[in-house]
Amino acid sequence: MAEWVAAADWPEKVASLTGDGWWLADLCGLDTIGLYGGAEDNDPAKRFEVVTQWLHRERKERVTIHVPAEGEPPTVPSIVGTWPEAAFMEREAYDLMGVVFEGHEGLSRLLMPDDWEGHPLRKDYGVGKIPIQWIPQPVMQVDAPGQAPDSGDARQEVDHLGQARPKAETS
Amino acid sequence: MGGVSDTLGTNFVTTQLDKLVNWARKSSLWPATFGLACCAIEMMATTMPRHDLARFGMEAFRGSPRQSDLMIVAGRVSQKMAPVLRHIYDQMTEPKWVISMGVCASSGGVFNNYALVQGVDQIVPVDIYVPGCPPRPEMLMDGIMLLHDKISRGEYTAGRQAV
Amino acid sequence: MSVPETVLEALEERGHGAYVESAEDDHMILNMGPVHPATHGVLRLLLELDGEIVVRCQPVIGYLHTGIEKECEDNNWRGAVTCVTRMDYLSQLFNEQAYCMAVEELLGVEVPPRGKWIRTMMVELNRIQSHLVWFGTQGLDMGAISAMFYGFREREVITDFFEMTTGYRMNNSWFVPGGTWDDLPDGWDRAVRSIVRMMPARIDEYEELLSTNPIFLERTRGVGAISRDDALQVGATGPIARAAGVDWDLRRDMPYEAYGELDFEVPVRSDGDVYARYEVRIEEMRQSVRLVEQLLDGMPAGDHKNMDPKLTPPPRAELNRSMEAVIHHFKLMTQGFTVPPGEAYVAVESSRGELGAYVVSDGGTAPYRVHVRDPSFVNVQSIPVMAEGGLVADLIAVIASVDPVMGGVDR
Repeated sequence: MAEWVAAADWPEKVASLTGDGWWLADLCGLDTIGLYGGAEDNDPAKRFEVVTQWLHRERKERVTIHVPAEGEPPTVPSIVGTWPEAAFMEREAYDLMGVVFEGHEGLSRLLMPDDWEGHPLRKDYGVGKIPIQWIPQPVMQVDAPGQAPDSGDARQEVDHLGQARPKAETS
Repeated sequence: MGGVSDTLGTNFVTTQLDKLVNWARKSSLWPATFGLACCAIEMMATTMPRHDLARFGMEAFRGSPRQSDLMIVAGRVSQKMAPVLRHIYDQMTEPKWVISMGVCASSGGVFNNYALVQGVDQIVPVDIYVPGCPPRPEMLMDGIMLLHDKISRGEYTAGRQAV
Repeated sequence: MSVPETVLEALEERGHGAYVESAEDDHMILNMGPVHPATHGVLRLLLELDGEIVVRCQPVIGYLHTGIEKECEDNNWRGAVTCVTRMDYLSQLFNEQAYCMAVEELLGVEVPPRGKWIRTMMVELNRIQSHLVWFGTQGLDMGAISAMFYGFREREVITDFFEMTTGYRMNNSWFVPGGTWDDLPDGWDRAVRSIVRMMPARIDEYEELLSTNPIFLERTRGVGAISRDDALQVGATGPIARAAGVDWDLRRDMPYEAYGELDFEVPVRSDGDVYARYEVRIEEMRQSVRLVEQLLDGMPAGDHKNMDPKLTPPPRAELNRSMEAVIHHFKLMTQGFTVPPGEAYVAVESSRGELGAYVVSDGGTAPYRVHVRDPSFVNVQSIPVMAEGGLVADLIAVIASVDPVMGGVDR
């Protein structure tokens, strides 16, 4: 079950959920680029969402609530006042997604170093892979029986694409 | 090589003393506690009764780097942890050795991404690399025994000017 | 609840080991960690001390951040299991179970009964394994170093079983969306039977070591107490919440996998102190042994994973006979299966609390977003609540009883 709540109504919604006995299970950021519909439907101002999971222990139910974050930087009111457990969760969403939580004092980076630039979990932030280098090893071709493996008798080399070529003269 | 003859010059007496000093060093290497992630659990399992590390004289994991001579970097080193790693390494007294345990410490491992230092040898000089995710306790002990051989030959990478 | 900004700046400027005095009368700021024998990994705590009393405590995390959630987006649906399993590395199968259940919900597939029972059994053994490490470190931090050796002795036996079944001692990426990767090997029932026969007496041995030990009681009774309301507000789940009086266990209250058909009790205490958490975890170990015995006795026959060819590679023998099997095998091995667009959040009761996996799919062969609600991430926030007002020695007991696993905290 998923609901969408506007950012302006968020504090009210949280107050009503809390009063009704719901418990905040999780809060995270979501970068919705390319997720809802095609490129035309994608509103860059509504790119980021805060997704919260709630649990009602009496009724044994769960609900997921999405809060679109609007503006630049994407902003959502903070719920740290009602739910202290959201402190780390909101800081993580800020750190990794760049969503700013209004009213959260001390909203600073949590997982990345304090001077890190960029928000890693955004879709336009690369994974940061370092390409693996394939270093070709010369292959020695033994063309006479009894030829010693280390001798300089080999007349051919095989390069990294498997092409044999005459061994370069080194003298 | 190593031991006494580095400082006192090489002659018959110092080379014989070397053997004694190197034997003493390798027989009671004290690791510094540098367990970071899953490899730390396997490192703990290596000190436990099944794969007993105490038979090498190494069960005393020192909390303070000043009192230890081996740093087993067990686990993934993140960007935030890298300066701390170098700080602890610098606080260790000579002679010191580093074992990079697990693939994350040796080369970034399974995680080739923005968050990890791709190999602890970018930060500290490493003597022995032990691959595995995580390496079995027996593999770590094999690495430690290779290190013992290295110590009895009197080599330690930290002495080099390289890094 | 946090240390003043000026002090934090001074610490950053002067390095990790700086001695800084706060503006308030005679309080000392002490930096504990990230490299510390008693912080259970790379947890850093900034303490403001009045002599030995902890006035304020602020956890600083992120020293093990591995970008696993981003890494999952770079692997296909099956490959993300190997990433997710390295988050909370002591409850590795719980991570896999939560993720696989979330993907199964998105796919709309059913796991066959044998698959569910095998998963439940492996997961309960994992719970015992994780609690054994907790027991060892709890004793070690209190100075009862023998507890470590006792705990790991049993852990090795269970790890041997895991190696026999999954091939790995730790970080076994063995669950797949649809069931488990492979069936249990021959002789598994003898191995599990010997574990089940051995454990109750060993748990009695642990209780003999610590439960009535006067030093242990002095150091844990009344120490690090958290009230029921505080526990709920700060988001604590699992043994911390149950020790504080929150009678909630996902296995019993919102049953999943095979738990609906099994018979077990959930220990709850009301003191909320370190000793209560100790009692809860010891009792949980006993209940897990009981669960494993029931799972062993009642293991159904059948498939261990959903054999839908769009999801699971067909058995090797069929590749010789059927062209469709070859094509399915090829597609699954090169691209992997696709999951219809949508989102799902599924939570399991791990050894540390509610472990939830929030998975979003855009219809492709790789996850769009994987977010794991790790119990330790939220439980670490309860450390200041428990430790403030107590001694530094009590802080050590508190951290051991919260049992954070930094791989899960930082992901």
